[in-house]
Formats: sequence, C-alpha cells, structure tokens
Amino acid sequence: MGAPGLSAFVAFAVGVTTILSLLLGDNPALFGDQPGSGELARRLAAPGDVLLQLAVIVVAISLIIGIANLLYVHVGRLARGRFYSAVVLASFAFTIFWYVTRRGDTSLLEAVQVPIESALAALLFLSLALGGARVLQKRADLWGLLFVAVTLIALLGSLPLAELAPLKAWNDWLMAVPVSAGARAILLGIALGAVVTGLRALLGQDRSYRG
Amino acid sequence: MDDTTVQVYSVIFVLATALLVYTARYFRGRRGRRRTQRKIAGFEQIPRWTLQSAESNRPLHLAFGDAGVGGEHTPSALAGAELFHHVIDGANASGIAPIVSMSAPSTLPLAQDSLRRAWHDGDTLSRARWSPRGLAYAGAVTASLAEDEPTAHVMAGSFGAELALMLECADRRGQPSLAVSDRLDGQAVAYALADHALIGEELFAASGYVSDDDAGHGDAAIIDVLRVLIIVGATIALLLGFSRELPLMSWQLALAGTAILFALVFIISRSS
Repeated sequence: MGAPGLSAFVAFAVGVTTILSLLLGDNPALFGDQPGSGELARRLAAPGDVLLQLAVIVVAISLIIGIANLLYVHVGRLARGRFYSAVVLASFAFTIFWYVTRRGDTSLLEAVQVPIESALAALLFLSLALGGARVLQKRADLWGLLFVAVTLIALLGSLPLAELAPLKAWNDWLMAVPVSAGARAILLGIALGAVVTGLRALLGQDRSYRG
Repeated sequence: MDDTTVQVYSVIFVLATALLVYTARYFRGRRGRRRTQRKIAGFEQIPRWTLQSAESNRPLHLAFGDAGVGGEHTPSALAGAELFHHVIDGANASGIAPIVSMSAPSTLPLAQDSLRRAWHDGDTLSRARWSPRGLAYAGAVTASLAEDEPTAHVMAGSFGAELALMLECADRRGQPSLAVSDRLDGQAVAYALADHALIGEELFAASGYVSDDDAGHGDAAIIDVLRVLIIVGATIALLLGFSRELPLMSWQLALAGTAILFALVFIISRSS
C-alpha cells in the first residue's frame, strides 16, 4: 500500500469511526430497553469524542503554523525591500514584547486593533453601498433590478419614519417569505453539497488522499 | 421528532447518499454515459483567466476565506481545495504560481498541498498565505492586491461581509472575480459585487465543471438528484398540507399534482 492508499485508509477508518460514533452513540433508546444499552451507547460515543478532541487540538496547533507562515512571507518580502512587511514584523515583535512584559494588559488591543477594525468596518459600509450602486452595471437584467429593488425596500423599510410605514409592511413580508425561503434554499443546497463532499472525504476519494 | 428518530433518519440518509455516490461513479465510469451539465458562466471564465495569467506573467489569486478544516466549514474548505487543485493544475504552464490566501490556519496545509502537487520547483511556501480572520484578512488581501497585481480572483470558501472590501478593491483595479460563500451574508455580497457568482451548492459541484474527472461529474449529478428529491418532497408536503385545509383538495389530487410536477421536471430536463 503506497502513501496515498495509506492516507485514504486512515481517513476512511477515522471518518467511519467518528460518524458511527456520532450517529449511534449517547442515545440508549436506539438500542431498545436492553439492560446494557446505556453502557453500550456510552462506549459507542467515546471514540468520536476522543477523535473530535484530537481534531480540536490539531486545529489549535495549526495556528502556530499560520503565524510561522505569516512571518516567513513577510521576512521574504522584507528581503525584497517591502516597507509594509517591516511594519508587520515590527508590530508582531512589539505586541509579543508588550504581552510578555505587561501580562494581561489589553490596552494595545483597545488602542490600535479596535480603532483600525472600526475604520475598516466603516469602509466596508462604503464598499457595500458602492457595490449596491454598481449591481445594475454588472447585472443589467431582471434579477439585477429585483436585487436593487428589494435592497431599497429593505433599507427604506428599516427607517423609523411614519411616512414609510407601508414600506415597513412590505419589508416584513419580504423578510418573512421570499428572503426566508431563498435563504433556506441556499442553505439546503450548501448542506447537500457538504454531505456529498463529506462522504467523498470519508470514502477516501478526496483529492488530498488520492495522491 | 425525538433524538432516536433523528439519528435513525441520519443513518439512513448517510447510507443512501453513500450508495448514490457510488452508483453515480459507477455509471460515470461507463462509456457513453455522460450527462450534459448546465452551463455556469463563472466556471467557463477560469480557463480564460488561467491563459491570461500565463500571458501576462501575473498570478491568479485563490481565496479560501475563513473555510477551515476541523470546523463547520470543513466541506467548503475541501470543495474549495478541489476547485483550486484544478485551477492550479491548469495554471502550471505559466511561469508564476497562483497565490492562495486563507484566514483559517488549518487550511494552510491543504493549500500548500495543492500548490506542491502542481509546482515541483519554485517557492510554493510563500504562495500560500495566512492572515488573521475577518476584516484583518480583508485588509491583508487588499494590500496584497496592490503588490502582486493578480490577473483574476477565485474566491471560494467561507466569507462574510468583509468580502465586499476585497471585491471592490479588485473591481477598482480591473481584476475580474468569481466568488461564492457558504455564509449567507458573504453570498449576498458575492452576488452583488463579483463579476461572476456561484450560488450555494455550485461550489461543491465545481470539480465536475472544471475538470474531466468522472468522480467530479458523478458528485455534481448526485447533488442535482438530491436537490430534485428535496424539491419533490417539499412539494408533496406542501400539497398534503393544502389538502388538509382546502375541502376541494384531497390526497388523490395531491398525488396527481406531484405526478404532473414530475412530468414537468422530466420534460424540462430532457429539453435542456
């Protein structure tokens, strides 16, 4: 068995164990009124719990890989004379120094990170407004028109003005019926795709395991 | 519905889907069994962008967003990786490797793996780039756009409203984009701002569109089958619900309505 075959086998074994453990474990009622059904359900749930805890630990460790990657990319850029990478690396070093020397002090976060994120959020509003205005340029069809019309009704209907009360009723109906139905349809589609993709990974057919 | 019933239904659903996946792959593997897929404009642009990337010697930008392995967005990360694998594979004729960005660190090995498979030499380690999530990720990507000047953007994964910043920046620079998100806010932004948007499950059917992979075609067909089954199920439930409220409606009428709907779906699918 080559490396791809071995990784596919490991993926299959772990995947099937986890899914069976999640589906069959922790529910004694599934095994009827047998005397040992509670113990059996607990035993079936245990492998899934252990594997999920392992996954959580691995994901947490992957943050270190992320930081290493960030540093590697910016050190490389700095070597090519990129000034902003020097700012990133200096900020990183200073934040580490700050946290180590003033343990528990979050003033740097509040003084720098929060205002910058707030400024970006304000920019985000402008980008969204600009994007809304450009929709009809990109999609000059019925659907584009409908998109803009619904957006306008939703925005105007949200305003606390008595003159716009009829629009509020429209807005409520839009949110309760077509928007809700559309959102559920999209989520159902995503769920179906997720199931098929999950099974592909579970059966060792995913690209990562095929080599 | 109690827990036991839900668990039993879940087991049946998983087994039935697994059976469907294998059946579809079996039929896909047989000659002369190719189903014509509906056209999705976004996927048709990818080979063109790849060619432009090779001609202009500028990279493609592929983004996972917040889709990470090990969380609720794992399927999106895997589906994105499958799509990106084919895009990177197609782009290896050009002299410059695509840039893959993500804000979930667990996706980094996935991206690195896709890059490494297509690019045996060259610095692939710096082409997969992680940034912290949310607005910080959007800020990092927009800053990168100025420096790397990508030919085009394929953003497939999990994005929120911060996608607007990236798409708006790309639009300002005249860089075309294809976007899809498994989150509703990101999906709405993708529809409004991207040049081409995929909707919902189209992300998961991507490998069936961008490659000649039989397995990918089979998976796309399975998603279509499941979708039709859900539409039919919802229609039956709706008609049965009506039949209890309206005196004129009966289960026979509901059955007839469903049969008509089936016939319509069949006719439409044959004619398209």
